[in-house]
Amino acid sequence: MESHSPLYLFPLPRKTEERPIGGQHSLGFYLHGIEGPLEDDVDGASIINEDPGDFPPETCPDDLQISYHDCRFIERLTISEINTHTILSLTTGENSPENLEIFQKLRDRRRRERLLEANDTETNWCDATSPNPSGRVRHRSRKQTVNLHEVWNWRELGHGLKSPGLGRRGSSCRRRGRQLEPRRVRRDIVGRKWREVRELLQKNRPREEMSLDRFLFTNLADRDDDIAKVEKELSAEEVFARKKIKLAEVGMSLLEDPESNIKCLKELLHICNEKDHNIAKLGLMSLVAVFKDIIPGYRIRLPTEKELEMKVSKEIRQTRFYESTLLSSYKAYLLKLIALEEDPSFHCVAVRCMCILLDAVPHFNFRENLVAVVVRNLNSSDDVVRKLCCETLRSLFTNEGKHEGQVTLEAVLLISELVKAHDCHLHPDILEVFLSLKFDEDLGKARPKENAKVSKKKKRKKYLEQSNQLPSTDGKRRKHELMTKTREELNADMKSVSFTPDNDERRAAQSEILSAIFGTYFRIIRHCMDSSLSRPMLNDISSIRLGQHPLLGPCLTGLGKFSHLIDLDFMGALMGSLKKLAGHSGSHCGSTSNSLTVSEKLQCCIVAFRVMRNNLDALNVDLQEFYVQLYNLLLEYRPFRDRGDVLAEALKTMLWEGKQHDMHRAAAFVKRLATFSLSFGSPEALAALVTIKHLLLRNSKCRGLLENDPGGGSLSGLVVKYRPDASDPHLSGALASVLWELSLLSKHYNPSVSSAASSMLSTEGMNPSQTQAFLSTVSPTKAFEDLTTEQELFKAANKKFSPSRKIKSGNEFVLMNAEDVRKIESVVDEDVVEGKFEEHFKLLKDFDENERLRLELDRTSAAIRLYGEYRQQKKLKRKAKEDKKRKCL
Amino acid sequence: MRPLDEKETTAVFEKLFKFTGPNLKHIVERPETEGPDDPPGRYCFRLHKNRVYYASESLIRRATNVSRERLVSVGTCIGKYTKTGSFRLTVQSLDLLAAHARHKVWLKPTAEMSFLYGNSVLKGGLARITDNTNAGDGVVVFSMSDIPLGFGVAARSTQDCRKTDTNAIVVNHQADVGEYLRHEEEL
Repeated sequence: MESHSPLYLFPLPRKTEERPIGGQHSLGFYLHGIEGPLEDDVDGASIINEDPGDFPPETCPDDLQISYHDCRFIERLTISEINTHTILSLTTGENSPENLEIFQKLRDRRRRERLLEANDTETNWCDATSPNPSGRVRHRSRKQTVNLHEVWNWRELGHGLKSPGLGRRGSSCRRRGRQLEPRRVRRDIVGRKWREVRELLQKNRPREEMSLDRFLFTNLADRDDDIAKVEKELSAEEVFARKKIKLAEVGMSLLEDPESNIKCLKELLHICNEKDHNIAKLGLMSLVAVFKDIIPGYRIRLPTEKELEMKVSKEIRQTRFYESTLLSSYKAYLLKLIALEEDPSFHCVAVRCMCILLDAVPHFNFRENLVAVVVRNLNSSDDVVRKLCCETLRSLFTNEGKHEGQVTLEAVLLISELVKAHDCHLHPDILEVFLSLKFDEDLGKARPKENAKVSKKKKRKKYLEQSNQLPSTDGKRRKHELMTKTREELNADMKSVSFTPDNDERRAAQSEILSAIFGTYFRIIRHCMDSSLSRPMLNDISSIRLGQHPLLGPCLTGLGKFSHLIDLDFMGALMGSLKKLAGHSGSHCGSTSNSLTVSEKLQCCIVAFRVMRNNLDALNVDLQEFYVQLYNLLLEYRPFRDRGDVLAEALKTMLWEGKQHDMHRAAAFVKRLATFSLSFGSPEALAALVTIKHLLLRNSKCRGLLENDPGGGSLSGLVVKYRPDASDPHLSGALASVLWELSLLSKHYNPSVSSAASSMLSTEGMNPSQTQAFLSTVSPTKAFEDLTTEQELFKAANKKFSPSRKIKSGNEFVLMNAEDVRKIESVVDEDVVEGKFEEHFKLLKDFDENERLRLELDRTSAAIRLYGEYRQQKKLKRKAKEDKKRKCL
Repeated sequence: MRPLDEKETTAVFEKLFKFTGPNLKHIVERPETEGPDDPPGRYCFRLHKNRVYYASESLIRRATNVSRERLVSVGTCIGKYTKTGSFRLTVQSLDLLAAHARHKVWLKPTAEMSFLYGNSVLKGGLARITDNTNAGDGVVVFSMSDIPLGFGVAARSTQDCRKTDTNAIVVNHQADVGEYLRHEEEL
């Protein structure tokens, strides 16, 4: 009610008896840009083309009937004269008394509208009823829970289509059409309860409204312009409200009995064509709600010509008509949506409608178009639209039962095409969608067994049949054949009727989906490699820019997730490209840094390890190059630039979970991690320490690092001295060094880091039998997370915390920390703080005072000095005068 | 004893490169740890009686005090020239190769003995293998406790290894530590 459109220029009071000439009505609406009178039944055939191959015409000029009276009406008005006053006088004949009546009526109407609005509840009309599975309409009580999913859209349109109880609204609408009885009579018609509510409302009406009305009545005669304005507003609102009611009515009738009221769909479609955006949007949304409810659970196939020619019963004809109308209007609606999607003002609504439809009825006709539009909008720059599309696709992927998995395949193919077309420059959300795909791994395995069984059975059957047939007579054989034939037919029928999709089909669809996904992933990886090779000179700082390879992150996570499904043939190529992406320098050309960030490179390493681990049964492969990469990436890692969780994850997958390590490699990693945990932030340091501990426990020979004498003895191999800058862990000679960092770390300011370091120093004398008990400690990622949350608490507290505390496990620590923080907050002495503040401000005040006094002093002294100079000069002048006088004398 | 000429150097380096790849640089540029020189000298290759030795410069300087006929060995012998004039790496180079190897193979404990008797490594005896080893690459063979056992040439790439059956040869034998016993007189 609160919004009205400026389009409604000429509000026309409905006073039909006194109209000197007919036809203003239609003219008025023509001027408003509405084709045809609203109250009349719209002939849907002209709006929706029956042939489902064409777009519905947006405006149909033939529908606009300009009568002879209209022309005459226009002739009588010259352009300059067109204002409300003249029109009113023309339409109503007399001026003032009639106007008075009109305004009374307007006021009345307005009040009643407010009443309607107030009478309103939170339900909207499409919630009020919902067809139950049998197709009958069941009226829900208002108190019943409202389906949230259905409610959401109305709010977001900006004017939640609030409506009162349906029956009342319908009748009131019709009543308003006539509007001629005096107010008292109407009041009698309405029930007592309503009256009560109205009275209550009248009491509560805003004061300004009342004054406006009073103002109108007192100054009616001489304030034509104001009247016109208000009237305009009122009637615009009224038109809007009437249309809303109309929408509600039509929608209700559709929901009540879709079979008989199917024609109303066209009416609704007609409303969507209106120029008023709000109404059109409302129309679109209500159509969605209607379609969602009335679309059947099967695909509609239109009867062929041959079938049409056949004589059918009345019921079948009716059903056919119903289905064809539904289908054609659905098509028209979709075409309209697709057309509106280009329009920026309707874009959001159109996409939302399509998402709802695709989510609700993915099995129905024209789903391909829906999927295409939704996938296209995955790359929308509008966050809301993109998230919406993502959610829709996700629910599409997870609820495959609704459409038997075919739409999934379509969507995946479309997405991969999109990625191909855009050359991998898309929003990462597109690939996140893939992560919600599910694959049934048993499908592939079940097949050969079944086949074997079937073949065995068949063989046996055949054998039996043969043995049976040989001695049988002709009649028996015929009977037998007949039996088998009918059985086969029966089986075929059963298969076609059964809802569970065929295993073979599903397997084929799955493999197709998989190939599309991996094709996309490989394309992205290849693209990243190409672009990184073409720009080999970029240094790391310039490559931090976001969005250089927007799709790589989700692509890598996807690869990690589906790595167990990759064929072994691809593995080699995949590992090769991952290695290149992780920054592995070619065998000859030295170090070439590519344009990926450290986090992305770490992710590449992690994915490579995941892929390998998932295919461990094939062969145990040692990914030496990735270890080298990790070893070098540790150097490039910066605590606040790169993501610590990725580093912790890499440490976990590569070092913590790995079972076998070279002695040299493990020692090198231990040494480097210890060195860098000195400069990392404390969460990273803790993750590194956990990894070090694990490595030391696993590799007994590396424990020589904890000894006090450097050199490493015979273990250190060819490299006798520790080289901290070596790029290969094997050549760093870490075994020849001493892990002095631990003793520094045991004095770390963070209690958990220091306790971890000192506990490691105490494990020095640990014998191997004890190691097993210690192996079950926290993983690096967990340690990292614990410490980050703890740090956040730390920051929130922003208080000094006794650093000498020793706490055993991270988990416990976090819990205690929260409590302690609270305690400390309360414990802090307010008096002390107050005193300090006092002192501080006192000091500041003193400074100010001092400065002021100094200034004053300066000024005074300057004045005194000046005065002295002045006096001296005066004296001199006087002397000079006296001298002159003397000379003259 | 003399430095290698150009042809001999390429022969030796090619063989070493097969095993070490770009790490060959580290072998050649390895600074010596003994001797009075400052800055320290390098390790270098010398040819003596058809054998190639790898020794530090200071050691070689001191070895010149011994006459050519009486010098049996200096530094580490890494290979020898056969009668036909081709270069072979011998077992003694194993430590050098193992420290710088690019491709490694770890044997299961059950397969160790077979390898030490001079047999090739079969797929069944393979515990672990370095990623992206190609056929023809030099491979150093380790036991599970990271003790170098010998070296050889990869017969298949890592990818092919996955698919082959257990009896297929993965690494062709070239030298193993068992030779210290078996061919004691030749070394």
